[in-house]
Amino acid sequence: MSQNKNASNLLWGAVALGALGVLGSYAAAGPERFWANWILWFVLLFTLGLGSLFIVALEHLVSAKWSVPVRRIPERLATLLIPAVPIGLIALAAIPVLYPGARPEAAHHPLLAGKAFWLSLPFFSARTVISLALCLLGLWVLVGGSLKQDATKDPAFNFRARKFAPAFMAIFALVITLIAFDWLSGLTPEWYSDIFGVYVFAGAFLSGLAATALAVLHLQDEGRLEGVKGDHLYNLGGFLFAFTVFWSYIGFAQYMLMWYANLPDEVIWYKVRLAGSWRLITLALAGLHFVLPFFALVTRDSKKDPRRLRRVAYLMLGAHVLDIYWLIFPILGTPRLSWPEFSFALFFLGGILLWIRGAMQKGEDMPVGDPFLREGLEFRL
Amino acid sequence: MPEISYSVLGVFETPDALMHAIPKVRTSKLGTVEAYTPYAIHGIEEALGLRRSPLGGMVLVMGILGAITALGFQYWISAIDYPIITGGKGAGSWEAFIPIMFEVTVLFATFTAGLGMLHLLNRLPFFGHPVLSSKSIKGITRDRYILALEAEDEGFDSVAASKALREAGATEIEVLPAPDRSPFLTSDYILRTLGGIFAACVVAGLAMYFATKWFPLLKPMANMQDQPRLNAQKASAFFKDGHGMQQPVVGTVARGYLPTATGTQEEAASLVNPLPRTREVFATGRKVYTNRCEVCHGAVGNGVGSLTAAYGAKPANLQAQQFRDYPDGKIYWAIVNGKNSMPSHAPYLSEQERWSVVHYVRALQRAQNAKDEDLKVATR
Repeated sequence: MSQNKNASNLLWGAVALGALGVLGSYAAAGPERFWANWILWFVLLFTLGLGSLFIVALEHLVSAKWSVPVRRIPERLATLLIPAVPIGLIALAAIPVLYPGARPEAAHHPLLAGKAFWLSLPFFSARTVISLALCLLGLWVLVGGSLKQDATKDPAFNFRARKFAPAFMAIFALVITLIAFDWLSGLTPEWYSDIFGVYVFAGAFLSGLAATALAVLHLQDEGRLEGVKGDHLYNLGGFLFAFTVFWSYIGFAQYMLMWYANLPDEVIWYKVRLAGSWRLITLALAGLHFVLPFFALVTRDSKKDPRRLRRVAYLMLGAHVLDIYWLIFPILGTPRLSWPEFSFALFFLGGILLWIRGAMQKGEDMPVGDPFLREGLEFRL
Repeated sequence: MPEISYSVLGVFETPDALMHAIPKVRTSKLGTVEAYTPYAIHGIEEALGLRRSPLGGMVLVMGILGAITALGFQYWISAIDYPIITGGKGAGSWEAFIPIMFEVTVLFATFTAGLGMLHLLNRLPFFGHPVLSSKSIKGITRDRYILALEAEDEGFDSVAASKALREAGATEIEVLPAPDRSPFLTSDYILRTLGGIFAACVVAGLAMYFATKWFPLLKPMANMQDQPRLNAQKASAFFKDGHGMQQPVVGTVARGYLPTATGTQEEAASLVNPLPRTREVFATGRKVYTNRCEVCHGAVGNGVGSLTAAYGAKPANLQAQQFRDYPDGKIYWAIVNGKNSMPSHAPYLSEQERWSVVHYVRALQRAQNAKDEDLKVATR
């Protein structure tokens, strides 16, 4: 218990230290770098929360039984969408600073004039507010209902969730596409890619899966989640494996089509990312987000092996951070990695871990009121 | 001669009974233990002590081989054997290879998985497995769980095997004969297969021949024939001016064809021939001269060509002192702009070809007015 207390104090210390650096970076490193970092962590927080909520909704959508015993983990991770709301609302202040489409000059830009209304500050903000509200709705129905079921043991929740899940999938697709287009590709509004929403979705789902696998393994270390076996881990590992390939497929398809067509307003986005030090980061991203996890998880046993799975899960979370960094930071020129970035990482990572630790202590570790829990525990490959 | 017994089947009523029997039967070491069940039973691989199938490794190796094959073929074709620049991409651009590498990887891997599983690991094809003609087969596909002790060599003791299975709890025992492993690919079989393929080809070929002969207006695949292409000498609705081919934008110059500014003939006198006097340049000059100049100016440049009489024109005698004193630039100017009744040859000759002809004309003049030292160079 005292060890828990120590870890908690350490995290609070990290948050406090990080907060100092965050405030200092606004004054010392300028608003552009400050907001780029802020958006990086808003998107990371948001994709982690929404990716986890997607896992929950996916289970209800296809009536999966195997994942019922571990469902509480993505449900708890999905509550990260609650702190994502104030972070996202504060990020609205970044729009006039970083987003060229929301500046008055955009009206005279030949490529942006047609999109001016869409990119304007009021409509941009409205989309983000609506997206965040829709996420909270999904959280309330799927996670809130599930927590209530622990006490009531009422199977009506399962029927309600099954009906809601298809609607939530449509909401999810809309929200992740809007957030991806507005906050990430909106940084370079001349650039445009149809598949960009799917690319960000693949990363979001991967980060949710990796965090879920990590949380399951950590809780098992503490002797919790009794009954979750290698077979459950295998499925999580299998998903992780499949979606690293999916992410690479989407990412490469987007690159190859633009490379082939060689249209100036499209290739400039890659030109920036393949020049100078960004080239190394692009190669590192391909290696860390695809090659390494692919070969680490390709055999059958590796997906069940807790040690291997834990390492790959850490790797995937790191690769997701690198991925979003790679999407945002080229607007600042050469790669920036110094005390402002570390301060933001301390502040937000500390905060996220504190939130997750708090969430993991609340209520039951498994959805004990779910009638399919027993079937899920008996799941064998 | 009694049939060699191949295996002994023991029938069990429940999967639990089967799982309990497996370790007992395995310790008897009478033969290979094999289980037949209507559905997959969890943990049975571990109980039977089945080793990990080598299929995964085979698939990995062949998949990587597929990727390398596709990469090698594409690189060799597009960068070494026949390098063509398409779409402005360099020869051997790896980006374009990835989709095909992906496909060939999957192709090699799936073929290895399918054929490896069927042929290498399960040794198909062969005529029938004895279990398929056993009395117990109905139960295997329905509600019975069967453990078999299969012969590993000719010393298989079916009596001891039956006893071991019964002691392990089997309710019924069945002894099976050896499988028919007679060779599958007999010459008769191969001949009949090849004959069948040949007959199918003949039938398909004849059918295609008569189909196209009797129904010539049926166009099964007319996409190539009816494509919306530009036809030579035909108007096209695609561009506003009705032309199929468009003129280059005003002021554009093709790479390597930067024209030499000429002006008047006097101004052109100062131009210097940019080409070196090499064998290739003289060969080009000779070819162009033969094709374009000789009919009027004559084979040696003396102004007596085969067309001179027919036209009644008087082409310049390039051997005259006036033209021998011309600087290179003035000859070049005449080729580009024409002179008197000689038309401009600019549309037909590239920059290179024009200057090559200038060199060649110089050679003709020198040949007709050779000096002593030229003779020394020639005989040396």
